[in-house]
Amino acid sequence: MTGRPVAMLAVLFLWSGTLAAQQPAGFDHAKHAKLFPACTSCHAGAASAGRSVWPDAASCTACHDGTIQKRIAWQVPESLRTNLRFDHVVHIQKAVTRFAAGGKTPPGCMDCHSTAGATWMAVQPPVVTRCFACHGLTAAHVAAPDTACATCHLPLALAPRLTRADVAAIDTPPSHRVAAFRTAAGHGAQAKAPGGGVAASCATCHARDFCLACHVDAPEQPTIQALAVDTRSTAIAVRLTAPASHREPDFLERHGGRVRAEQRQCATCHTRESCYACHAGTPRVAAAMFSRSPLRGAGAVIDRRPPESHGARFTAQHAGLASARSATCAGCHVQADCLACHRPTAASAPGYHPAGFLARHPAAAYSRETSCNDCHNNGSFCVSCHAASGLVARGPLGTAGFHDASQFFLLGHGQTARQNLESCIGCHVERDCIGCHGSFGGRRFNPHGPGFDAARLRRKNPQMCTACHGTNIPQ
Amino acid sequence: MTRRGAAIAVLIAGFAGSAGAQGYRLRLDTRLQVVSFRGLTADSIAAGDTVTGPGGGPATSDGFAVTCGGGDAYCHFFRPGPILHGAPIVTSADLTLWGLGLPGLSARLSGRAAGEMGNDHVWPGTSPEFQLLEGYLDYATPHVTVRAGRQFATSRLGYEGFDGGRLLLRDQARGLELDGYLGWGLTQGAALPVTSPALNPLDDFQPRRRQIVAGAGGGWTGSWGEVRADYLREVDPEVDYFVSERVGVQAVARPPVPGLTLQGGSDWDLAMGEWGSAEGSATYTRSRFSATAGARRYRPHFALWTIWGAFSPVPYHAAFGRVTIRATDWLDVRASSEHYAYSPADVSTALVVVEDAGWRYEVGATASVAPGMTVDGAYQAHFGPGASEAGATGTISYAPERRLLVTLSGATLQRPLEFRFEESRLKSIGLDVQAGITAALRLGVGGTYYDEDRRHPDAQAFNWNQFRLTAFATIAFGKGADLRGLPPAVRRMPVGERP
Repeated sequence: MTGRPVAMLAVLFLWSGTLAAQQPAGFDHAKHAKLFPACTSCHAGAASAGRSVWPDAASCTACHDGTIQKRIAWQVPESLRTNLRFDHVVHIQKAVTRFAAGGKTPPGCMDCHSTAGATWMAVQPPVVTRCFACHGLTAAHVAAPDTACATCHLPLALAPRLTRADVAAIDTPPSHRVAAFRTAAGHGAQAKAPGGGVAASCATCHARDFCLACHVDAPEQPTIQALAVDTRSTAIAVRLTAPASHREPDFLERHGGRVRAEQRQCATCHTRESCYACHAGTPRVAAAMFSRSPLRGAGAVIDRRPPESHGARFTAQHAGLASARSATCAGCHVQADCLACHRPTAASAPGYHPAGFLARHPAAAYSRETSCNDCHNNGSFCVSCHAASGLVARGPLGTAGFHDASQFFLLGHGQTARQNLESCIGCHVERDCIGCHGSFGGRRFNPHGPGFDAARLRRKNPQMCTACHGTNIPQ
Repeated sequence: MTRRGAAIAVLIAGFAGSAGAQGYRLRLDTRLQVVSFRGLTADSIAAGDTVTGPGGGPATSDGFAVTCGGGDAYCHFFRPGPILHGAPIVTSADLTLWGLGLPGLSARLSGRAAGEMGNDHVWPGTSPEFQLLEGYLDYATPHVTVRAGRQFATSRLGYEGFDGGRLLLRDQARGLELDGYLGWGLTQGAALPVTSPALNPLDDFQPRRRQIVAGAGGGWTGSWGEVRADYLREVDPEVDYFVSERVGVQAVARPPVPGLTLQGGSDWDLAMGEWGSAEGSATYTRSRFSATAGARRYRPHFALWTIWGAFSPVPYHAAFGRVTIRATDWLDVRASSEHYAYSPADVSTALVVVEDAGWRYEVGATASVAPGMTVDGAYQAHFGPGASEAGATGTISYAPERRLLVTLSGATLQRPLEFRFEESRLKSIGLDVQAGITAALRLGVGGTYYDEDRRHPDAQAFNWNQFRLTAFATIAFGKGADLRGLPPAVRRMPVGERP
C-alpha cells in the first residue's frame, strides 16, 4: 500500500495539533492583533534565513514584565513532529518569483494560515485547502492524487520525530480502498518511480518493513528494496486478503496449473511453506518458491481445507475421482490416509460408515451401494460375523427355513443370486451350490448365464472349471 | 492385546527411540469397543412333534414356524440366539523414519495388534492378532520413487496389496506419471495373504500359494484434466493360471467453465471377457451450490480361484444425482437420490417374484446454530432387492474449543428384508466426548443405547436392547526439523498437533 494523500492529511493534522499544543498557553493571536502589524514582528524566521521562526522570550517580557502585564512563561518549543517538506524563506521566495512573473501579488502569511476572509491575525495552522488551491489541487486532502504527497511531505524515514502512534494515526486514502489497488497493476505499478526506485509519494508513509507484512518476494522487488528500513512503518495495519480468483469454487483444484503459469505472481504472497501447509508431497513448483526467511514477509497463512468437491457424501463417491487423479490426490494425501478407512478395524469408532451402520447394512450391502470388498474381505469379515450370528448354511439347502418369506425360494433363487451374489456368499460357501450346480451327480443345474465365455475361462484358468466339471471340461 | 502384539508395539516404540538421531513420526491409536450381539441359532424338531401353527403351517409347540422337507424326519427352524458379549481392542502404530544417511530415503511401518477382551469372539477383525499393514523402504527423488516391502497400490481396479517392489517415474513438467509393481499379493480387502488361516471361510478352495501380482499404470495430469490407465494381473504360481486380469481407464476433465468437473471410467475383465463397473458424472460447484448428476454400473469382480464368476452375476445400472445448497451462512441443505435396475438375470421363475430394481434417497440439513455448535439431521430411505430401510439420524455437536468435541446422536430405523419374514425397528441415542489432553494426546469415550425390536410372525421375534461403549486414545509425536526432500508420507504425519 502506498500512502501519499494519507501522509499529507496525517502530517498536517499532526502539525496542527502539535503546533496548537506548543503555543504558549492562552496566547490569543486575535487579542494581540492591534499590537502587531506584521507576522514577522514575532516570527522573523519565516521571512529571514538564519533567524528563528519563534519569538524569543524577551519580546514577550517587554510587556509581560509583571507591571504592564502579568508575567508569562514562554519557551521556544521543540521541533515540531512533522514530515512537512517546508522552508518558509524558500517557499516565500519561490512564491514571490512565481507570482511576480504572473503579475500577481505574492501570498502573505494569512493566505496560508487562515481561512479566506478571516480578520487580521485570526490565524491557525496551515489550512490544507489553501495549500491545495495554490498548488492546483482540488480534491480533499487524502483524496488528492497519490503522486501529490511528496509535493509537501518528506519520506517517512526522513521524518524522525514522527512516532509510531503518529504513523498509526494516518488515515487510509480512498484510492487505497479500491480492490484493484491491492494488485500488482495497482499499487505495484504506482510504486515504481519512472526512473527506477520507489515513487516518492509511497515513501511518505511507508518503508520496507511495511511491505514485508505481505511481500514474500520483497528481496527480489527493486521497488521495495529502494525503500528505507523503518520499523515505524509497520504501525500502519495491513491485512493480506485473498484475491477474488482464490474464492472461485474450484480454485483449489485448478490452482496447480495457474501456479505453473504464474509462479512469480504466486510467490508474491506465498512461501514454500504455505504450499506445504496442504501439500503432502514436494511439488516442483513449491520447491521453486521462496522459503520462509526473516528478510521476507510471512505471506499468506494457509488454513488447510478440503476443496468444494469434497462435500457431503464425498467419501462414498470419491472412488472415481481418486482412481483417475492419483497425482492430484497425492498433492494433499498420502497412502496412509487411504488406509484410515480402507481396512477393517474391529474396534473403530464411527468413521467411514455412519453410527449404527451395522443395523442398516443389509440394504447397502445387498445392492453394493459402495464396493464393500475394497475394505472388507468377505471371508475374514462378513462370513466370520455372519457365522457367529447363526447366518451360515448347514446341511442341504432349502431345509433350514431362513428365507421363509417365499415358500419356493430355493426354486426361484437364481435371479437374486445373480443380482446379489456377493451377499449370498456372506453366508454360503461354494459347496452349498455345487451340490446342485455341479456336473457330478446332483441335479446338474447349469449356473452359467448368457454370454458366458467358457472357452476364454478355460484358457485363463481351467482349474476353476474342474471344481464343477472335474477333468471332463466341456469343449 | 496379546503378548505378541505387545511385543511388537514395544519393538516399534524402541525402534522410534533408537532413531532419535534421525527423524521419526509415530502415531499410536488404541480403540476399544464393548458390544453385545444376538443372532440366531439353528434348531430342529422331529416332524412328528410339530403342531399346526396359527397360519396353518407346521410349527413347534412353543410357537416357532418350522420348515419340513418332504419325507424328512426332522423339520428345521431358527431360535433367537444367545446374547454374546465382546470387547474387541485394537492398537495400531504408524511409524515413519528418515534421515537414514541417504537424502530421500525413508522407512515406513504400519501395523495393528488386535485382541478380544470379552468372553465371546463375536466381532470380526480380531484375528489374526497382528497384521503388518505396510512396511517398506522408500527412496524418492523428484522424478523417481522406488519402494520395496509390503505396500498397497490404488487404482480404479481396487486396493491391491502386495509384498514386492514398485517403481514410479514422473515428469512433473509434463504432468506424466508411469508406475509398475511386482510382488506376492495379499487377499482382497485385508492385509493378509490368501493362504492365511484367518481366511478359512474360503473353505476347500483356498489356494496353497500366494498369487504373483504384476501391475502397470500411467497417467497424465494437466490443467484441463487428468487421465489414467491401469493394468493388473494376478497369477497362481502353483499352476501358472490367471487369478484375475483386468484393465481400467479413468478420466477427469475440467472444461473452461468455472466449477464444472466431468469424470468417468470403466474397467474390462480380461479373464472373464466382460465389462466390469463403470461410471460417469458431471459436478457443478459454486460457492453456495454444488450439484452432481451421473450414471454408473456395478458388476462384482471375483477372483478365479472361486467359482462365483461362473454363476454369471449381472450388473446393475444406476442414475444418480445429489445437490448441496448453502442456504444461509449457517444452514446447509442436501439431497441425493439414486435409482438402479439390474440387467436381466435370465433365470426368473413364476414361483418366486424377486425385485430387480431399487431406489434410495436422502434429504438432510446441517445448521451452525451457535459458535461451536452444529446440528445435523437427515432422513434416508432405500428400497431395493434383498433389503430395504428407512430412518432418520440426527446429531448435535458442540466444540467450545479446538480440544473438545461433544456429540449427541440419535437415530431411528425400520429395516424389512425381502427374503425373510423379519423387520427390524431400531432406535438409538448416544453421547460421544473427545478431548485433546495435550498437543500429542487425544482421548475419547462414547456410549450408545440401542433399542431394537426384531419382528417376526412367530416366536423368532425378540427385543434386543443394549449399550455399546467405545473408547480410544491417540498419541502422535515425532522428531526431525528438516523435512526437505522427504516423501509425502512423512510430511503428513502430525507432530504435536491434534491427531
